[in-house]
Amino acid sequence: MPPPEVGVEEDPSTTTTTTTATTPTSKLHALPVFKPDLYERAWQSIPHPTLPLLATAHQKSVTVFSLATLTSHSSLANGHERSVRSTTWKPNLPPHKLCLVTGSFDSTAGLWRWDDTGAGGDADSDSDGLGLEVEVTASDKARDDDKDWELIVVLDGHDSEIKSVAFSPSGQYLATCSRDKSVWIWEDVGAAEADDDWETVAVLNEHEGDVKAVAWCPETTATARGRYGTDVLASASYDNTVRVWREDGDGEWVCVAVLEGHEGTVWGLQWEPISRDGRFPRLMTWSADCTVRIWSLQEEDEEEEEQEAPRHAWGGIGSGIPSTMRRSLKEEWECTATLPKVHTRDIYSAAWSASTGRVASTGSDGTIILYEETGDESTTADTHADDEIAAAELDGDVPMTNGHPEKTKKKKGPLKRTWKVISNTPNGHGPYEINHVVWCKRYDTGCPPEKRGIEEMLVTTGDDGIVRPWEVMKEETEQSS
Amino acid sequence: MDKDNANPTILNVSELPTRRDRRKKASRKASESKLDAIMRKPQYLSTPFCDIPWSDDTESDDDFTVEPIDEQEVYDLISTISDPEHPLSLGQLAVVNLPDIHISPSPSVAADPNTLTRVLVKITPTITHCSLATVIGLGVRVRLEKALPPNYRVDVMIKEGTHSQDDQVNKQLADKERVAAALENVTLKGVLDKMLETCV
Repeated sequence: MPPPEVGVEEDPSTTTTTTTATTPTSKLHALPVFKPDLYERAWQSIPHPTLPLLATAHQKSVTVFSLATLTSHSSLANGHERSVRSTTWKPNLPPHKLCLVTGSFDSTAGLWRWDDTGAGGDADSDSDGLGLEVEVTASDKARDDDKDWELIVVLDGHDSEIKSVAFSPSGQYLATCSRDKSVWIWEDVGAAEADDDWETVAVLNEHEGDVKAVAWCPETTATARGRYGTDVLASASYDNTVRVWREDGDGEWVCVAVLEGHEGTVWGLQWEPISRDGRFPRLMTWSADCTVRIWSLQEEDEEEEEQEAPRHAWGGIGSGIPSTMRRSLKEEWECTATLPKVHTRDIYSAAWSASTGRVASTGSDGTIILYEETGDESTTADTHADDEIAAAELDGDVPMTNGHPEKTKKKKGPLKRTWKVISNTPNGHGPYEINHVVWCKRYDTGCPPEKRGIEEMLVTTGDDGIVRPWEVMKEETEQSS
Repeated sequence: MDKDNANPTILNVSELPTRRDRRKKASRKASESKLDAIMRKPQYLSTPFCDIPWSDDTESDDDFTVEPIDEQEVYDLISTISDPEHPLSLGQLAVVNLPDIHISPSPSVAADPNTLTRVLVKITPTITHCSLATVIGLGVRVRLEKALPPNYRVDVMIKEGTHSQDDQVNKQLADKERVAAALENVTLKGVLDKMLETCV
C-alpha cells in the first residue's frame, strides 16, 4: 500500500522544487504534445527500435505517432473487444515492414503487420531507416488511417487480461503475461517471416498473483555463464516478486531466481540497456511501494562456484521454487540500489536511458523524477566493512549459513553505486496520473538536424490522453519565474 | 440465493448526516443574486483577512465562490449508493460512515487545482465474510472518481478488523489496472451501474 500521505505539490510557479536532499541539476522542458489528443486514458507509448515511430495504446486501439511530425501516422483498431494495455514492436524487420503485437484486457494478443512495399515504391531510399518516415510524411493526408495495418494472428490462450507483451531482442520469442498468473512464451516456427505460424513454447505458472510485466534482457556481450541459452526473461508481479527465467538448453524454460524485497505490487521492470564493465545487465524494478530498485546478478568466479557446490542452494529463496529446478540453473540476484524515494504513490513506470544511463520514473502522483548514478565503486567506510565481512566469509571455514544468500557476499560483488535525483517535475500531466515514461530518439523539427536520431527525449503518457515529449535541459544557474 | 446478511442493522435516512438540502438552497440563492456575487468584495478581503491590504495573491481571485470539498460532501456522494444485495443505501446500512472519510490535506479553498488531494474512505462491510466487499469498494471508488476533480486520488479500504480478508480486498481496490479491467467486465459493470443508479 502507498504511504498514507499524499505529496503536496509545491506552487507550480517555482519549477525548481527541491523536495529531496539533493539539489536538482536538470530540468524537463515540455515540448509540443503529440497530435491529436486521444481524450481518453492512454496506457503506454513504445518507440520503434529503429524507425521514428511511437505506438500508443489507448482504449481498444493503438495510435502510431510519427516522431518527426509529432502527429498521428496510423492506427490499429477493431482488433480487440477490450482495452489494449500493452504493445511491442517486432525488431529486426526490413524497413517498410512493420509488425506490432497488442496485448489486451480481452485476454488475447493480436499480431499486426504493415507491409508498405507496394505503396511507396521507394524502398531504396531508406538505407538510413528514415525512408518510411519520409514517404509517410509526404502522403499522410491521402492515406486512409486503418488501411495498411492488418490483424494477422490472434494469440489465444490466457484466461484473463493480458497486462504486458514483449519481443525478445532477436524477435524469435514473444512473451505475454496476464492476470491469470502465467507467463507465456510464443515462437514463430514458420519457415518465412510472414508465415506467422505461432506456437506456445512455454507456460510459466510460478507467480502467485497477476503478472504485471515481462521484459527480455537485451543482447549482451557480458559473459553470462555458458550453460544457459542466450535469452533471459524477467517478470514482475502483483505477488510483490520478480522472477528471472532462462531456457535450460533442452528447450525447457525455468525460473532461475526470485527477487524478493518490494513491499507492494511490482508494476514493471527494465533491463539495463547497456551493461557496463563486462558485467551482466542489471535489472530495474518499480512498485506500488513507491520505490525503484536495481538488482545485480552475483557473478561468481569459477573456483568460487566449486567451493559453493555443497551449499543448500534453495535455503533462502522461498517456498515458491519448484523441486524440478536444478541447482545448476539457480542464480543469485541482489538488490544493490534503491533509488531515492521521492514518489508518494504507486510508481507505474520508469525508463533507463541507453545513452546517458539516467533513469526517469513516474506514476500516480503525476510527478516525473530524473535520477543519475554517481561514483564508481563506493569507498565509504561502511562498504569497506562489508568487504571485510565478505572476505572473511570467503576465507577458510566459510560456514555459508544456509538460508541467507544475502549474507554470502563475494569478493567480486556487484558495483556499489549511489543514485541522486537530478530533477523533479510535479504535475507533468496537470492533475492526472501518468501511466508511462520512455526515452526515445528525437526526429522532430525542434531538434537540430545533425542531432536527429541521436538526441534523446522523454515521452510520458497519461490518464488525460496526452502523449507529451520532454527535453532534458541543464539547469541554468537560478530559475526565475 | 441466500443473502450474506439477511438482517442488517438499518439506519433511518432522516438521521444520516447530510448537507444536501442546504446546498440546494444555497445554490439557488447564488444564482438569483449573480450580480451581487460579481460585485461584492471577495471573501478573502473580509475577516479575518480584512486587515491585510490588497493581497498580491491574485490567483485566488476567481476561486472566492468555490467551496472546498469536505468529508460531508464526499459522504453525500457515496452514502446514496445502493447495496448490491439489499434495497438499501450504503449510508443506511452504515457501510459508509462520515467519521471514516478522511481528506488530506484538509479541505481548504486550495488555490492550485493541480494539488493532489487524497480521499481515504474506509468501508465497513455488514458482516465479516461479506463476499461483496470488493464490489461495494469498487462502487465507492468508481463513484468518487467520476464525481471528484482529477487532482483527487481516491483510496478505498476495508475498515480494520471488520473483514476477514481485508488485505486482499484493499490491494485489489488500490490496483488501477484491475479496476480498469473490472469496469470492462459486462456483468460487473451491470452490478455497479445498478448500485450507482440511486446516486443523484
